[in-house]
Amino acid sequence: MQTGYVEGVDSVDDSERVHLEGADRFAAYVLPELDVLGRVALSLTRSAPDAEDLVQETLLRAYRAIDRFDGRYPRAWLLTIMRNAQVNRVRRKRPELLRDPEDAVRTMSDTDGEGSTTEDRVMHGQFDSVVEVAFNELPLKFREVVELVDLNQLSYQEAADVLEVPVGTVMSRLHRGRKRIRDHLGDDHPAARTAATRDQRGREAKAGKAKEGRGKAGKGRARKAKAGDSAHTGSAHAEGRTEGRS
Amino acid sequence: MKRWLTRPDEMSCRQAAKVLQSFLDGELDSDRSSSLEHHLEACRDCGLELETYEEIKAALSRRSFELPPDVMQRLRRFGDEIALGEVEGV
Repeated sequence: MQTGYVEGVDSVDDSERVHLEGADRFAAYVLPELDVLGRVALSLTRSAPDAEDLVQETLLRAYRAIDRFDGRYPRAWLLTIMRNAQVNRVRRKRPELLRDPEDAVRTMSDTDGEGSTTEDRVMHGQFDSVVEVAFNELPLKFREVVELVDLNQLSYQEAADVLEVPVGTVMSRLHRGRKRIRDHLGDDHPAARTAATRDQRGREAKAGKAKEGRGKAGKGRARKAKAGDSAHTGSAHAEGRTEGRS
Repeated sequence: MKRWLTRPDEMSCRQAAKVLQSFLDGELDSDRSSSLEHHLEACRDCGLELETYEEIKAALSRRSFELPPDVMQRLRRFGDEIALGEVEGV
């Protein structure tokens, strides 16, 4: 028995072969995504110990399912596993919260401030602070998408997988969230001035069009009235001619 | 009149504003990307708008947080152990 084992690969039975293949697949598809899993887990839990537990659970689930995984989009697959694991974790901890599964990813705390060092703030000045304040003031549904795409660098599809919403919803929330941040920048930022100028121009153009429209309508009415007068005059002439003939 | 002065593949500022953020995220298809790039070459306002979103994205990514290195090290070890079949219950 021992000799057979030592003699090598031929002695590995089928179940062991499957195990090795699964292990290779795990090493190829899962392990390279560990950094992303760590960041997203921290976004979802807002606590390093909870994030560590969540990543561990995700790794175990991924390993158990690796033979059923088709090898396409491993990150999206892993993020879906992580999201489901988080749903279960929250359900275990706070069952009353989970009538809506989306609540599982809404466990992010409203307060944070991690990751932004004093040095960064000095280097990047006021701008980062304004962005941070604006980001923290975003409604949760916008903030979580901005966080997944801009902080965790997920694609739209990956963020959609984590949140279990359509890609279009991710786009809409992300774009509106960033626009709110931009609107917070105030007049000091060149693009904010440009945007304000553009908005002003837009308002002026609209007002101009409306005025023009009113003008055209007025001219139209005037032309109509004139035409009416001519018609009236014409008919008067005709009447006159008629009268003359009579 | 303006209709005849613009090529069919050219974008207006309004159209550009709709796709600017997808372009920034690398999520815009190549046709619309090149139309937008063409528009940006000539439109200072939209260029500034794109720059602003780039700055916002950069500011947010500077804010990105990671798990502490010792936690990541433990997780890597855990992943390796799973792959080697050394974790019970898998």
